[in-house]
Amino acid sequence: MKFAFAILILLCAVLQAAQPVIPIDKYTLKNGMRVILSRDNAVPVVAIYMIYDVGARVEEKGRTGFAHLFEHMMFEGSANVPKGMHFKTVESNGGTLNGSTHPDYTDYFEVLPSNKLAVGLWLESDRMRSLSITKENLDNQKEAVKQERRLSFDNRPYQTAIVDRWPELAFQNWQNSHSLIGSFEDLNASSVEDVAKFFKTYYAPDNAALVIVGDIQIPQAKKLIEDYFGDIPPQPKPAKPDLSEPATPTPRSDVYHDPHARVPAVLIGFPGPVRRSPDYYALAMLDILFTGGPSSRFQLNLVKGKESLIQYQAEMGWPFCSSTDYKNPGDYAMFLLYKPSFTPQQIVEQAQEEVAKIQKDGVDAKELERARTLLRSERITALQSSLNRAELLGKYEVLDGAPELINTELEKFLAVTPAEIQAVAKKYLTPERRTVLQILPAPPPHPDAHVEPKENQ
Amino acid sequence: MRIAAFLPLLAGTTLMAQTIDRTKPPETPPIPAFKMPPVHESKLPNGLSVFLVEDARFPLVSVRLSFQAGSKFDPKDMPGLAGMVASLLTQGTKTRSFRDLAEELTSIGASLDGHVSPDVLTLGGSVLAENTAKLLDLLADVALNANFPEDEVALRKQNRKQALLAQRSQPSFLASEKFDALVFGDHPYSYIAPTMESLDGMDQKSMVEFRDTYLVPNNAVLLLVGQLPPRAETLKLVSDRFGSWKEKPVPAAPAKTFPESKRQLVLVDRPGSVQADIHIGRLAATRTDPDYYPLLVGNAILGGGANSRLFLDVREKKSFAYDAHSELDRRKDAGVVTAVTQVRNEVVEPAVEAVLGNLSQMAQAPVTAEELSDIKNYISGSFLISLETQASLTDQIDLVKTMGLPDDYLEMFTTRVRSVEPDQIQAAARKYLAPEIDSIVVVGDAAQIEKSLEKFGPVQVEKAK
Repeated sequence: MKFAFAILILLCAVLQAAQPVIPIDKYTLKNGMRVILSRDNAVPVVAIYMIYDVGARVEEKGRTGFAHLFEHMMFEGSANVPKGMHFKTVESNGGTLNGSTHPDYTDYFEVLPSNKLAVGLWLESDRMRSLSITKENLDNQKEAVKQERRLSFDNRPYQTAIVDRWPELAFQNWQNSHSLIGSFEDLNASSVEDVAKFFKTYYAPDNAALVIVGDIQIPQAKKLIEDYFGDIPPQPKPAKPDLSEPATPTPRSDVYHDPHARVPAVLIGFPGPVRRSPDYYALAMLDILFTGGPSSRFQLNLVKGKESLIQYQAEMGWPFCSSTDYKNPGDYAMFLLYKPSFTPQQIVEQAQEEVAKIQKDGVDAKELERARTLLRSERITALQSSLNRAELLGKYEVLDGAPELINTELEKFLAVTPAEIQAVAKKYLTPERRTVLQILPAPPPHPDAHVEPKENQ
Repeated sequence: MRIAAFLPLLAGTTLMAQTIDRTKPPETPPIPAFKMPPVHESKLPNGLSVFLVEDARFPLVSVRLSFQAGSKFDPKDMPGLAGMVASLLTQGTKTRSFRDLAEELTSIGASLDGHVSPDVLTLGGSVLAENTAKLLDLLADVALNANFPEDEVALRKQNRKQALLAQRSQPSFLASEKFDALVFGDHPYSYIAPTMESLDGMDQKSMVEFRDTYLVPNNAVLLLVGQLPPRAETLKLVSDRFGSWKEKPVPAAPAKTFPESKRQLVLVDRPGSVQADIHIGRLAATRTDPDYYPLLVGNAILGGGANSRLFLDVREKKSFAYDAHSELDRRKDAGVVTAVTQVRNEVVEPAVEAVLGNLSQMAQAPVTAEELSDIKNYISGSFLISLETQASLTDQIDLVKTMGLPDDYLEMFTTRVRSVEPDQIQAAARKYLAPEIDSIVVVGDAAQIEKSLEKFGPVQVEKAK
């Protein structure tokens, strides 16, 4: 009965709106922790999403990579959850979990069979209340992070250039331009005191939001949340670092010789508009015209047409964010993998030519209509998973203070006009504002000259 | 109805009585079972099997048209042909150019792509439910009338060569390539990508030939999942578009012969590697083998997830690696079990030692009752969660219909996992995990790590291609 009822609601919603309506029950605990509940009993699954308003951009000089190292510490145990028990408890209750560090936030999730909700709340509240901060755990996680760096960056093509060099070019303020994964030197220098201070400053209930999406009973969920989180003491609001960039960007470029790359690539970026300003929505639609779906301009004109590109990615906030999850300032950047028969200059010119066409000729109404349909379809597809819904709600809350954007924001994208798109192409995507990083294949280092990068510097 | 009305009241009562005990995990009921939605099955006169599943949660429809035409059906001198055919199916038909197809798909909010596994070639996609009939138009056009335009074939070949170069810069690719070559021997499962030479040999003619041989209705399964029109209407949509497709006898699949497993140790030299990729394993049971569920559960205890023996030992206890796991590759005609980790150069020897030790231990002693109960919950819960989205539900049903699995596979999966006993796991471990006859492949900087491997057998060093 309940299932059929849920379907009826969804169907009605579809008839009225561009996408199904996600129910939102938002409130704040006495200690300042924000809570967002969204019930959907179609599948016996629940997503618990804990998002903290702290990311790599708050790091201090000499402590690059610290936010990420700290995220690892969150899995090392707390007063009532011995080391190793976090993973074990989630998995032995049939769940999956992870955590991730971003420039502007850090998040943790458990997806569980829905009748295991209390288990996830017990774990999340215990580590927020009483994280175990020991030297042994810290040393162990420093090694894990170094291994992660070797695996995901130092041993792979393009990745080191993207994580270490690209931000230095794209941003000028150190808070924005330093490496998110950090140097081995800075990781080694981190102390137990650093961890304790970071925990107290940023991992307080009033600096976090808890989102629960799935097959829950709202009154029961509220009661459990109050029981587990209600008496965790709040902390003074942390000071926010100055993230501002120079008002007038200058063109910057560099070449990175990558011993692991076999195919050349070029990264192109432009400082982006203020998040959620009208220009932001227009640039997002322009990005779909350039790179969204099989009929995008980059596909038709550059992969086909000029036959120069092999693969492309582009997004506002690229590479560490997506258009939904960064704070100002952000950029619009693209990664273009191309055939070695072209020069990097040719590739940059071809991309800029695609911009010039929009600047000169504007946008065809039919093409824009296709982009709108694509966006709507991708949005509905993404909303299927309870974890995706929880992430969106949490990011809208922490980054915008407005979880209801999950239901209303699509309309803003769909309302963008051809004239607005043409205007942002002219305003933002000009060569004078452009950053370019070439990544060129380089021979591997001579065996005798082998040095473990950055370990002993 | 009465239960629903009663629940909040119950919550109210507990509110008064309960004080939270934070010292141990809260007690919760057992994991609920997966409830399989009904699958409606029918067959067109030309042999096309059609499966319809109603999923009304979101206004979407997912589609899969799958053929027994995976890469194991590639001609012997042309590895990668099935994959190239799959990717070119959506690049032009008799009446639609690539641009026409791309624009029509985008304008109805649809995606449609071809891809291959070792066993199956699939055209898969999804669409806003209101446009289901239009997606079926395009799917039928692509399946029946793809004509592999020469310029698209030439471009795809060029780009595939560049992509192959890029893949070759990834140590994990090099490791999988060498490992599969060792364990599968002469069987076509033994390669994971085309070669520069095989790509050179491919043209419109070889693709048309492959299409005419394998992409026929009696070799295919069509699956629709989502907010479908009423059944009779949906079936008419299907028969109007696929009914005229001609059936045709299909050649037999390659013989299921595989080499005996034996210890082989290959070091693929990748100068400049800052760590070593280690793959250790051999042939194992398929999904339809009686050993399958004990092996599945045993493999998960060994290396599935963050509570597994490999993860706890190699990552958490010894800090050798960021990742250590074991995987079960389940192809239709053979399984493969592989323990995988990537470690820094200085600890290659103790890391290989640790992996081998964990493999041996699985065969030497029964798993504990706690490990077994934890892992059964983990597998059952992850299974439930993995079926949440329409795309994943569709892929799972497609798997059942294309891999020769029993109709009750999904419904009975959890029950079968829960019935596994420790002695069955130990027997399966002796058969598939005890490492004496495992192949070992390491990708890394030979100058740095060759010596560390010598104690595990004669090391055959090969240059990365």
